[in-house]
Amino acid sequence: MSHVDYVRQEHHAFLKASDEALSNPALQQILDKLGDSLGQKNKDAWDAFEQHDLVRQRARAIKDDTLAALDKHLATLEESVTRRGGHVYWAENGEEASGFILDMIQSRGAKKVVKSKSMTSEEIHLNKTLEKHQIEVVETDFGEYIIQVAGHRPSHIVGPALHLSKDDVAEILSEEAGEELPSNREALAAFARRTLRSRFAEAEVGITGVNYAIAETGSIVLVENEGNARLTTSLPRIHIAVMGMEKVIPKLSDLKYFLKVLARAATGQKMSCYTSLITGARREGELDGPEEFHLIILDNGRSKILGGPLRESLFCIRCGACLNACPIYRNVGGHSYGGVYAGPIGAVLTPLYDGLADNHHLPHASSLCGACQTACPVKIQIPEMLVRLREQLHEEPGQLGRMESLAYGLWARSLRSSWLYGWGTWLATRTIGRWKRRTCWLRRLPGSLHGWTKQRDFPAPAPERFRDWWRQEGQHQTGNEEQRRES
Amino acid sequence: MNRDAFLTRVREAAAAGCAHRVHLNDIPGGVGYVGTSAEKCVALADEISAVGGEAIVVESPVAAKDAVATLLKQYEAASALCWKHAVLDRLKLPELLADTNVAVHDHSTLAKLPSDEQRQAILAADVGISSVDFAVAETGTLAVCSKPGRERVISLLPRVHIAIVEESQIVPDLFDVFEQLGKLSFDDLPSNLAFITGPSKTGDIELQLTTGVHGPGKWHVVIVRDA
Ligand code: SF4
Repeated sequence: MSHVDYVRQEHHAFLKASDEALSNPALQQILDKLGDSLGQKNKDAWDAFEQHDLVRQRARAIKDDTLAALDKHLATLEESVTRRGGHVYWAENGEEASGFILDMIQSRGAKKVVKSKSMTSEEIHLNKTLEKHQIEVVETDFGEYIIQVAGHRPSHIVGPALHLSKDDVAEILSEEAGEELPSNREALAAFARRTLRSRFAEAEVGITGVNYAIAETGSIVLVENEGNARLTTSLPRIHIAVMGMEKVIPKLSDLKYFLKVLARAATGQKMSCYTSLITGARREGELDGPEEFHLIILDNGRSKILGGPLRESLFCIRCGACLNACPIYRNVGGHSYGGVYAGPIGAVLTPLYDGLADNHHLPHASSLCGACQTACPVKIQIPEMLVRLREQLHEEPGQLGRMESLAYGLWARSLRSSWLYGWGTWLATRTIGRWKRRTCWLRRLPGSLHGWTKQRDFPAPAPERFRDWWRQEGQHQTGNEEQRRES
Repeated sequence: MNRDAFLTRVREAAAAGCAHRVHLNDIPGGVGYVGTSAEKCVALADEISAVGGEAIVVESPVAAKDAVATLLKQYEAASALCWKHAVLDRLKLPELLADTNVAVHDHSTLAKLPSDEQRQAILAADVGISSVDFAVAETGTLAVCSKPGRERVISLLPRVHIAIVEESQIVPDLFDVFEQLGKLSFDDLPSNLAFITGPSKTGDIELQLTTGVHGPGKWHVVIVRDA
């Protein structure tokens, strides 16, 4: 398969895709910058905010409490939205959600839609459905627009076109423009502004995601830096918002904690440029804003997760901080993960939503270093969840290769017997340990174990067992002490 | 899906999920209040510059009016969209605009236009002039609520947004805004409340900041000290 496929298609060949990403120097150059830019800004932002830890715990507690009575909060949200003249739809899955949206657009005779960045709409493959029915959908977030023109999938939760260089973007947009655009950020952004303005002016429908939905007031909250979400909710006649059901928070006063941490995590800003609190359609006498407001509440597998041990994954507020912090993401990039969501949280979500068996590499695409959890504004225990998924892989029969089962079986046996363990380690130190005493690393394991050493070296056993070293060292120490006492 | 079936399923899942709640200590409400120790006007101006805007602090409405006049000249504005707001009236802004040859649109002139022409006028404007409902010193944020006369597009569509803030509108922290919002009744919450913190930005090409991709690329805030 060529590289292009991983960029454009969802797939499950993590190893192949990451191999390709690792040998793509242009991509590596971009990914190299991520840790020092967004990653570092996030760390600095936490450092500069004295009570960040308490606020993050508070935000976490709000999520935990909300999920415990999620049905109640969703019902309240529905009531509030309706009282403010909006309409609520309950979608069991992506197909149903896309269907609602399509019906609504068609029933209004609309043909033109502008969209602001929404991972949820990505999840339900909304654009495909609409385009199939000759409805023009234009992504208006600059990054989303670029990848829509190119036909790529987003590679990062907040920077969907992160995998492209300035020159790539110039090439992509030049083709769209039908003229040579200079490879210069300002000029490219100006082209997008011009082109998208006319789309905004013509569109009858604006579709957005939802960062938070406030049950008490029926408001939805959109957080962004460009202003395209504001335009999407100001100019078109109809506003349709799509939310995963876990996005609800009970009270208006809960929102402030999330606003204090979201931008700091995503980009290191104290606040993103624009945070919109939208409550229903425009009111009497207002000259702008939509005349209709529709809210689609999506389950799509969330209730299954809500009842299980990985329920904490529903705390995620999609800030992208864990991606920037992750040494694996910063090497393999977003497309390798194959699902809608990349990085550490993607490695949890994709197996949960799309099936563990098909995505069995993802829980292993982590060194469990914990940088994701340290960065996360709601302190999601991603490493724990990855380990839990690995466990599930081992519990389900047929998920493991024969060699792997054998290796783990032997390992478990020898750990349970001190004799076997002692003998095994003695043998390993005397053979491989002594043989590799200089380099300390094995470059290539034999047979199918080679899979492990393809991308990394395996640490060789030490030339001496710890217990032997300890015994000797102990004697040495005692000897010293006796000498001291004597003198 | 049927609403009740949807919610029943969620209720059952939520109940089952309670076995997996993460144990949390009680965190007191109100944590995270930062505020500012500096003088409010100065603190706000500093934060606004830090996020890429341009702020000036002036001592009187007359000085504020002059500042706006200078900006209009600087940008060679041919047309402007304008809020209706007591703060702008105190500046005698309508008179200033009448004196210049800037074509001004506000709620009353726009409302009279047929919708096509209204759209055109809104899209063509060079400058948007507004006041605010609140300004947050800690973050350099302006909060603007929509209502007739305070159109949302004014702080959004033109390339240049000029906001006039009076000292009494400044609060130390975002939490203070939420306290005020909490006093509104259900029906009084505006249809749109925008927190604006900086000119429009994108980092979508190679993580480098570019301004003005959708919203205003130029963001000016004139802060008027109380007399
Ligand atoms: S898991 Fe945490 S850090 Fe990662 S995207 Fe979600 S909220 Fe952000």
